[in-house]
Amino acid sequence: MYGRRITVLVGSFGSGKTEIALNGALGLAAAGWTVTLADLDVVKPYFRSRAARAILDEAGIRLLAPGGEVAHADLPIVVPQVRTALRDPSCRLVIDVGGDGTGARVLGSLSDVLPVADSDVLVVLNFRRPATSGAEEAAAMVRQIEAAARVKVTGLVSNTHLMRETTPRVVLEGHRMAVATAEILGVPVVAVTATSDVAADLAGEELGCPLVVLQRIVLPPFEQPPQTRTMGPLFVVN
Amino acid sequence: MAKKLMKGSEAIGEAAVQAGCRLFFGYPITPQNEIPEYMSLRLPQVGGCFVQAESEVAASNMLYGAAGTGERVMTSSSSPGISLMSEAASYLAGAELPVVIVNIVRAGPGLGGILPSQGDYFQATRGMGHGDFRLLVLAPWSVQEAADLVQDAFDLADFYRNPVMVLGDGLIGQMMEPVEFSSDRQPIKELQPKTWAATGCPGDRPTNIINSLFLDPEELERHNWKLKAKYDAMTRDEIRSASYAADDDYDVLIVAYGTVARVCSTAIDELRERGVRVAMVRPITLFPYPYQAIRDAALRASSVLVVELSTGQMIEDVRLALEGARPIHFHSRVGGMLVTPDEVIEKVECILAGGAAEVSHG
Repeated sequence: MYGRRITVLVGSFGSGKTEIALNGALGLAAAGWTVTLADLDVVKPYFRSRAARAILDEAGIRLLAPGGEVAHADLPIVVPQVRTALRDPSCRLVIDVGGDGTGARVLGSLSDVLPVADSDVLVVLNFRRPATSGAEEAAAMVRQIEAAARVKVTGLVSNTHLMRETTPRVVLEGHRMAVATAEILGVPVVAVTATSDVAADLAGEELGCPLVVLQRIVLPPFEQPPQTRTMGPLFVVN
Repeated sequence: MAKKLMKGSEAIGEAAVQAGCRLFFGYPITPQNEIPEYMSLRLPQVGGCFVQAESEVAASNMLYGAAGTGERVMTSSSSPGISLMSEAASYLAGAELPVVIVNIVRAGPGLGGILPSQGDYFQATRGMGHGDFRLLVLAPWSVQEAADLVQDAFDLADFYRNPVMVLGDGLIGQMMEPVEFSSDRQPIKELQPKTWAATGCPGDRPTNIINSLFLDPEELERHNWKLKAKYDAMTRDEIRSASYAADDDYDVLIVAYGTVARVCSTAIDELRERGVRVAMVRPITLFPYPYQAIRDAALRASSVLVVELSTGQMIEDVRLALEGARPIHFHSRVGGMLVTPDEVIEKVECILAGGAAEVSHG
């Protein structure tokens, strides 16, 4: 998922891009990389990467997102530093794009500076979301995103889950549909995601790609474990 | 149907479709845009119609006209938009039209901000508009409950011929949880054919007129008492509340609704693990309000703690419920800031240690 300098996460609304972007950036930082996370989400008003500013700060991750009071606004702001980061060959960048073709249009506006050879453009898929319940729908959505983003998708992330009610069966059913979507599109499934408890039960499964363990960060305050207990707007750590 | 992972806004939209709503009129405002977005995609698939009006005033009056045909209709908005709909709400209640209005509350007053709040409690429970009327108000604490209550709201609206509001704070609209829709859901009320609807009249019955104008004061007085009788029937038959950790004894009773009650439930779980005796009553209907359930539960405690995302609105109903029988404490965050489980834990511990000031009356 993170083989190239830039990892771009796109996908339909609510598919889990922010969760994977945050986990990816934190994982890279823990592995010693100097990481920049760009929040390009102009679609949803809550639960954006920027709401995790405190978590990212603590891990030494640079966040590119609107600051000050407009950080909480629903305005379509893209900070200019994103263009610089895309051009800078030394910048290890994770990009969290907003949902659907609507959100991907922001990426389209940056496509002139997106170095294709240095970028993984990954579609996050959750087949338990209402808009993508089958491979055909998912493939159509991917084509819509590619058109808006003016960039080709290079891989799929199989991220089917039901939050706390996720079972190995939910993940495997979703993964089968991700594989079917990959066949339609002619791109690989680069990873399956699961939280550690579910991942333990999937250990013996033949998945055909790496199993990436996720820590759920994008949660309302009452779902947060005490160690990431939130304060203030959504999931900002104390 | 398999469980889906849905945002509250999507679940509210799908619940309306499942309940037979085929007409939606709205105008965009954060944080509820996903409801009209969902309806604009979904209604054409089921032969329905979505209209984005030029304003909330227009949307709510389109709602009035469409409800007059007897169809199941809905609108949604967020706080400032709901204010613009308050005139129509009064007309809807006056003309006895069944509609569902969803308010995904954001922080105010004025334009305020786009983060969650419960600052529209007074507006929802005290009539919403001019004149002497009430909305039946339902307040979900989860995405599943939002879906369930929206479906109930259509039955209740039809049964009482009255606007029903589903009141959720911003989090209810934006958070994601697993949701299941039952394929064989039955109406929760016995519903009569809508013989009052304006559906075209070939002359074989008196014409139906949808109206809230009563120039004759005697007739209007009769109308007012007729409406009052409906609100009394709601108060008799529709009160809903839930209790949490109240099977065991407790010293402190928390009263909270919506997602704040979720925060409190997390706090209660952790306090109970430490042996602190605390429980909660959660109003689900805000009008009619569960005064008796709260009073009964409070009399088993030594203190009551009200937690809400306003500077103190629902606390007035808790006072009415208790009539001074127990000291009332209060904790809140406003402006889009959220109450955390840690804050609730600290407040409960402070109350039990005798260090928290009781809320002063008056």
